[in-house]
Amino acid sequence: MRNDLIIGMAGSGGDGIVSAGESLMSALAREGYYAIMSKSFGSQIRGGESSCRLRISTDPVLSPGGTLDVAVALNWEDFMRFGSELPVDGRTVVIYDSNTKVQPDKLPLTEVRPAVAIPVPIQETARQHAGTDKAKNTVVLGLLAGWFKLAEENVLAGIRRKFGKKGEQVLRGNERAFAAGLEFAAAHPVDLDVVMAAPKAANGKILLLDGNEMCAAAAIFAGCDFFGGYPITPSTEIMHFLSKELWKHGGTVLQAEDEIAGIGAAVGASFAGKKAMTATSGPGMSLKTEILGLATIAELPLVCVNVQRGGPSTGIPTKSEQSDLFQAIFSAHGDAVRPVIAPISVHDTFRMTVEAFNIAEAYQTPVILLSDQEIAQRKETVPAINTANVHVVNRRLPTRSELDNYVRFRVTDSGVSPISHPGMKGGNYLASGIEHNEKGAPTAKGDVHARMNEKRIRKLIPLKHRRDLFVIEGDSHAPLAMVSWGSLAGVASEALERARKAGMRVKLLIPKLLYPVSEEIYRDFFREVKAGLIIEQSYQGQLYRVLRMYVDLPRGVQSLARSGSNPILVEEVVSRLQQLTLDLQRGRVPEPEPMLG
Amino acid sequence: MSIVAEHEYQAKDYKSDLKPIWCPSCGDFGVVSAIYKALARIGRPPHEIAFVSGIGCSSRIPGYTTAYGFNSVHGRALPIAQGIKLANPDLLVLVAGGDGDGFSIGGGHVPHAIRRNLDLTYILMDNQIYGLTKGQLSPTSPRGLKTGSSFHGSLEEPVNPLLYVLSYGAGFVAQGTPADMSGLADVIEEGIRYPGFAFINVQSPCVTYGQEEQQLRVHKQKMQSLKDLAHDTTDRLKAMALAQEYGIKLYTGVFYRNPEPAATFETAVRELHDRLVPEARLRVDILDTFRPQ
Repeated sequence: MRNDLIIGMAGSGGDGIVSAGESLMSALAREGYYAIMSKSFGSQIRGGESSCRLRISTDPVLSPGGTLDVAVALNWEDFMRFGSELPVDGRTVVIYDSNTKVQPDKLPLTEVRPAVAIPVPIQETARQHAGTDKAKNTVVLGLLAGWFKLAEENVLAGIRRKFGKKGEQVLRGNERAFAAGLEFAAAHPVDLDVVMAAPKAANGKILLLDGNEMCAAAAIFAGCDFFGGYPITPSTEIMHFLSKELWKHGGTVLQAEDEIAGIGAAVGASFAGKKAMTATSGPGMSLKTEILGLATIAELPLVCVNVQRGGPSTGIPTKSEQSDLFQAIFSAHGDAVRPVIAPISVHDTFRMTVEAFNIAEAYQTPVILLSDQEIAQRKETVPAINTANVHVVNRRLPTRSELDNYVRFRVTDSGVSPISHPGMKGGNYLASGIEHNEKGAPTAKGDVHARMNEKRIRKLIPLKHRRDLFVIEGDSHAPLAMVSWGSLAGVASEALERARKAGMRVKLLIPKLLYPVSEEIYRDFFREVKAGLIIEQSYQGQLYRVLRMYVDLPRGVQSLARSGSNPILVEEVVSRLQQLTLDLQRGRVPEPEPMLG
Repeated sequence: MSIVAEHEYQAKDYKSDLKPIWCPSCGDFGVVSAIYKALARIGRPPHEIAFVSGIGCSSRIPGYTTAYGFNSVHGRALPIAQGIKLANPDLLVLVAGGDGDGFSIGGGHVPHAIRRNLDLTYILMDNQIYGLTKGQLSPTSPRGLKTGSSFHGSLEEPVNPLLYVLSYGAGFVAQGTPADMSGLADVIEEGIRYPGFAFINVQSPCVTYGQEEQQLRVHKQKMQSLKDLAHDTTDRLKAMALAQEYGIKLYTGVFYRNPEPAATFETAVRELHDRLVPEARLRVDILDTFRPQ
């Protein structure tokens, strides 16, 4: 029996492989399993290759996992396009359509022989039982449910719900296709331990959603009243959800004429007293940068979501990367410090989005919420969130007496000044991108400029002490350490568990607040560390470099970083940790690699 | 939005303590005075007015009023103003800026503001030059103009702001000049009262870098009241024909006023809210949307 199963499937756009993954996941969630499903596509809208990777577990899971336990190829050409995103090794069960005419011992996989390769007449079965190629994915569901004992009843119930609306003929055809898949599996038993253990308990109030949906829902929870944005992959689903739901809460969604107008309208709404958000991805972020600076100097709360994708420029819009960290932290002109926070999972996206609003409102600053395509577009089972424990912060409005002689940008002890908005009598002031004095009057005086810069930066210092925005796991005195962020944090977390089981002394730090850099928290963490890895999905290792800039990292701490669309796998992290452990045992401190670029 | 005076306001109630940075006898002094006058006639208290601008000499204007001002970034006044109006439709929202701000760097926003039709009043201070950067071509500079950036003379045709906004579908289009202060205050007032997007092109001369033939004394001789010409302000095509003469003639007054103003964006938003808000679950229950089916 297995407690954890990773299934990767690939086909052409029309094969419905992603939709099969979603049906299966939904059934498994109802059954009580935990699951993560990531999708990956070519850039074509129709007919291009598409894939999904579904990880099922009897326990909560943190990452989409590494090597596939089960690989399903509807055709090999599409499967191979995903390369290292769908890795196969000697333990993998490969299922593929026999119409590909490939012999089981001649699979087009590079340098690996899977445990078993089973050609199945998928297309033929679909045609025979449902009269259409469209039922290929239903045959696949039957095969998976049959071989791996995956929620047969619930999958069938899902098929009935889905196709029930499409008429008797379609419904019966899909029922027969599913049954044929089950029968094929029963008639061709696999001589391997592939049966999935029963779930431990019903999940109760489980939720099933992706990171973009979670971000949008959390924004509504946090009190967002205005969204201004422009369509861009892979963040658009945030706007989709809000366009359906935000209106119901009295809010407004504006699809602006461009990225700049989207953030401009959001800044306007914030000036008018509402909680406001914009969302985009890399290239859109570049366009929004000027107005982010305006929000900094005008001290206006604003949440700006960047769902990172492969860059620069158009790059790889459909694949995940963590290469916008430098941009998030450093792209402003002038001395603009703005908080950057990153969620580590779909689940965590709830808290981090609320946190982004809370920080924006409390400190009157733009906040960059740095998500990535992996989190944004993958579906997760999420345990019910007790929202009663989630605090929502509102901006500090001036009191009646403060309005008597109102000074909008008063230099206070905290650096935060009460903020009025149009409609408040006595609160009238000039918001501006030009430097201004405490009353808001434009100025070119150096001493005023310095004082206001100091105020705007000082007010953010309390964030550096927010230990709740950092997760530390593992052996606190370990000589070996990892740091990882965003969607890669789950990979590191799982690697930590495996490494500790293998007897290594190692720990992990996951910063969710990436800027301002909390020197103190890193210093404490690295105090006894001799070697380690900063794990992230970018060519340059951007967090590694930021930490080298701000923190006195121990010499043996290295970067484990790679461009997007080439996943860093748990196995790989564990083997690097093993090497570092050996080095330390031999008294060798590994040299950091020379920096490129 | 109903525009009802709570009590009498005077022009000086809208004038702030800030001293304008404009050059002596800049046309913009006249524009701001006309705005004070128009606002006093409208009678909304200053704290219910949001006045948004971009960057440029003229974009300093919100700071010289007692309204809530927002002197933002170059070219983005319109998107910001739309966000403000959508966030609080009860506000009176004014937008102002120069010809470069509105028709060069911010030109992409104008058609969209017009097609959305929020109840905004956009006052463009058109001086055919970049003044704040000390004399370069603007989008309304005439072909052949020699400036710091066109040493040998401009090689480009200018844009025609009046014709642009008329063809984008604006419901209210007018022109004024500080050479006719009372007419200018009238068109600004009328623009504010128009229930929808209103555009007012103000020929506001730059005394330092502007052309000789664009100064107020020339305006005084040249300007021609559309009212005196008995122009029918409900006729968009006639308005467009007159607008063709931008740069040649100086017409003042209303070019076009839609006799049946279209519903504003914020009205449509209100209707959508009326329909959808009653069916909403509580914000704290939003995650229930994602129970697996």
